[in-house]
Amino acid sequence: MGEPLIRIEGVWKTYDTGAVAVDALRGVDLAIEAGDYVAIMGPSGSGKSTLMHIMGCLDTPSRGHYWLGGEDVGSLSSGRLATLRNRFIGFVFQNFNLLPRASVLRNVELPLLYGGVDRQERRRRALEILEMVGLADRARHVPAELSGGQRQRAAIARALVMEPRMLLADEPTGNLDQTSGAEVMDVFDALNAVGQTVIVVTHDAGVAAHARRIVRIVDGRIESDSAKAA
Amino acid sequence: MKLAAVVADGLADVSAHGGRTFLQTLGVILGVASVVASLGLMAGGRQQTMKYYQESGGTLKVIVFPKPLEAVHASARERASRGLTLADVQQIRARIAGFDLVEPELNRNLLCRTPRLTKVRQVTGTGASYAELNELILERGRGLADEDIARASAVCVLGADRAREFFGSDDPIGKSIALGRGSYRVVGVLAYREFYWNEASSYNALGWMNRLILVPVTAMLAREAGSGSERVDEIVLRLATPQAHAEAVPALKRLLLTRHGGEDFQVYDRQERLQRMDQEGRVYDITFLACGVIALLVGGIVVANIMLASFRERMREVGVRKALGAKGWQIGVQFLVESVIVSGFGGVVGLVLGVGFVHGVAYLLGQPAVLTAAMVVAAASCATTVGVIFGLVPAVKAARLDPVVALRYE
Repeated sequence: MGEPLIRIEGVWKTYDTGAVAVDALRGVDLAIEAGDYVAIMGPSGSGKSTLMHIMGCLDTPSRGHYWLGGEDVGSLSSGRLATLRNRFIGFVFQNFNLLPRASVLRNVELPLLYGGVDRQERRRRALEILEMVGLADRARHVPAELSGGQRQRAAIARALVMEPRMLLADEPTGNLDQTSGAEVMDVFDALNAVGQTVIVVTHDAGVAAHARRIVRIVDGRIESDSAKAA
Repeated sequence: MKLAAVVADGLADVSAHGGRTFLQTLGVILGVASVVASLGLMAGGRQQTMKYYQESGGTLKVIVFPKPLEAVHASARERASRGLTLADVQQIRARIAGFDLVEPELNRNLLCRTPRLTKVRQVTGTGASYAELNELILERGRGLADEDIARASAVCVLGADRAREFFGSDDPIGKSIALGRGSYRVVGVLAYREFYWNEASSYNALGWMNRLILVPVTAMLAREAGSGSERVDEIVLRLATPQAHAEAVPALKRLLLTRHGGEDFQVYDRQERLQRMDQEGRVYDITFLACGVIALLVGGIVVANIMLASFRERMREVGVRKALGAKGWQIGVQFLVESVIVSGFGGVVGLVLGVGFVHGVAYLLGQPAVLTAAMVVAAASCATTVGVIFGLVPAVKAARLDPVVALRYE
């Protein structure tokens, strides 16, 4: 096998809070192949969010290296990081993070806008992806007019519209009822089935059960990795 | 990347937040309107004053009045002073180069008589250049000439009202009129003059010109003041140039002081008054402008406040946009679009409102409105400055925001 999609080696993340330096990550090694379906689990404060931020190129490691698609992220400018996020990563947040005043369509078009796609192409691709998640008839509505499940599906559509190398979901069912949560996980399952890399950060074992591989983090270190155990 | 697309997205955002945009714009509108209104009203008032001075003898006019001495403090020599005289006039002419015109003025209320009317009217004894000094305009005939003064000729020049009053529709030129103890031949008639401070006013500030009866000062002295008297009521002078003021006026005071032995005179000086007015005007300018600037500042604070109030919402939004791949400058442009629209639109509406206000007030008071390009530019650039300052700071901050921090912001 060649270079994995994600390769993390000896990553530390230290937050300098002034009086004391807090190590959120303390030497994490992790490799994720394209097409994998990974759940990252851990109690709150374990460092799983920090790891997600680093994997999502929102943050850079204090020490160690992170290669995304063969590129060393630690050495990149903020502009280049923005481009990486735009092209490689689709974020799904616990609280959806849709722009409240913008229609679903405008929300989904945003990544295309920042990706430099022209207007007509933006519209076409956004409508296409909304069709796929079953929200074509809600395109002109603002998020407040949608149910929780619909909002999360809109957010997934937005995450997918640039055809990213991986989908990075942070507690995607945390704000949803059982049924809506199950629907959202079904979407992830279906996407992974056609080859989409999916990484889900969660503390919900039921959610993690959908993944093929479970990585547990405690105190900034990987405690167990089902891939290695296997 | 694509600036136009980012700008278009910013525009969509501005219209999506209609209420917020409206409040911000209102702040700028009121600020700009008050700057324009205060500048325009001030300039209008100033222009009227200047115009009156121009039409009634210019700003170079200087007048010397006799001042009654307080008897207790007056020295013997002061008490001996005979006030302003024709000799003073000659000395000023001879010794002070800074004045190009110097004329005496002697006013008496005399019984005036023509076959048509007998009335007591004020008659002014003066010299040949009095007309030029006061910017009088001759309509018919001629003015007083130097020979008239030298020979104390019994001739007179009438203001428009007086000509009508004493001669009706007849041509007064060549006719005679009895003024006090003498009979004078009318040689000229002055043109009718008017100046109103504003349209509502019925007071003609140049009306005194229409009521003039001018005779040679020498003729009047001989007939009305008794033999040998050379005493006049005031001396009217004109500065040769505005620059002459600094030397000529003190020289005039010194000369009269030495000749009279005391300060039994008073100098009314338009230049000085104008300068003082200018200074006062500048104080008003600054006060008004300060008010305008404060208003604009308040407008800016309103803008900044609303930006701050929506900061929580925006922090998350910036985080989300960055997560989706927005670069710093793209976020910055989005914020700038908002503030440019707010300040630009607010500036234009404020300008229209301010101009409207100035014209409204001008119409009500009947005073002309003065709005110069400089004022418009000043107000517009104020609006832009406010927009840039209060828009750029949040824009730069937002552009630099760490996406992790922004996303976590609750």
